[in-house]
Amino acid sequence: MEEIITSETAKGNQAKGIAAAVAGWIVPGLGHLMLRRWSKASVYFLCIGALACAGLAMRGGVFGAGAEDLFDRLGFFADLGSGMFYFLAHQLQPAGPDVAHATGDYGTRLFAAAGMLNLLTVLEAYDIGRGGETK
Amino acid sequence: MTGLFGNLTHFGALVFFAIVVSISFAFLSKRTNVERANYTLLAFLAFMLVAIGIGWLMLPFSR
Repeated sequence: MEEIITSETAKGNQAKGIAAAVAGWIVPGLGHLMLRRWSKASVYFLCIGALACAGLAMRGGVFGAGAEDLFDRLGFFADLGSGMFYFLAHQLQPAGPDVAHATGDYGTRLFAAAGMLNLLTVLEAYDIGRGGETK
Repeated sequence: MTGLFGNLTHFGALVFFAIVVSISFAFLSKRTNVERANYTLLAFLAFMLVAIGIGWLMLPFSR
């Protein structure tokens, strides 16, 4: 039987995709949880959470919005990708960053990697939400 | 949390990063659990091989 996709169905799918993407950005894995992708949701939350928490535990730097340098701005967007971990960074690591030591520098990269990884999962959540993935 | 990761060496951070990112990539790109397990192992080994290879290539410039 041929499926007829009306413009309203397409809009609904688009809204579902956007909602999943926003939820997935704020809490890694939440978008997939909304779409009933249980295993993906738990793996993404654990992996991204582990990377972000390790980065903060190693006292990695977290870039702020007011950066003037291009690389700092890129770092800000990468860090912002980790959603709640970016906003809770000061609560999770009250001692703040210490990039004078090598460990702190590794932590900066791990935290940025967490953000970039979450952005990939957000794109996937959007794709699944709008019906782009069948499984 | 700081105690667990605070004294991580460069190699330890590399292993941790490689494991976590390999698992995530496997779930992003593969559908069955067998495919995911194979992909995780291959990606992890590739991360390690490339990182250690680049490390060796940079060795002469460190002195």
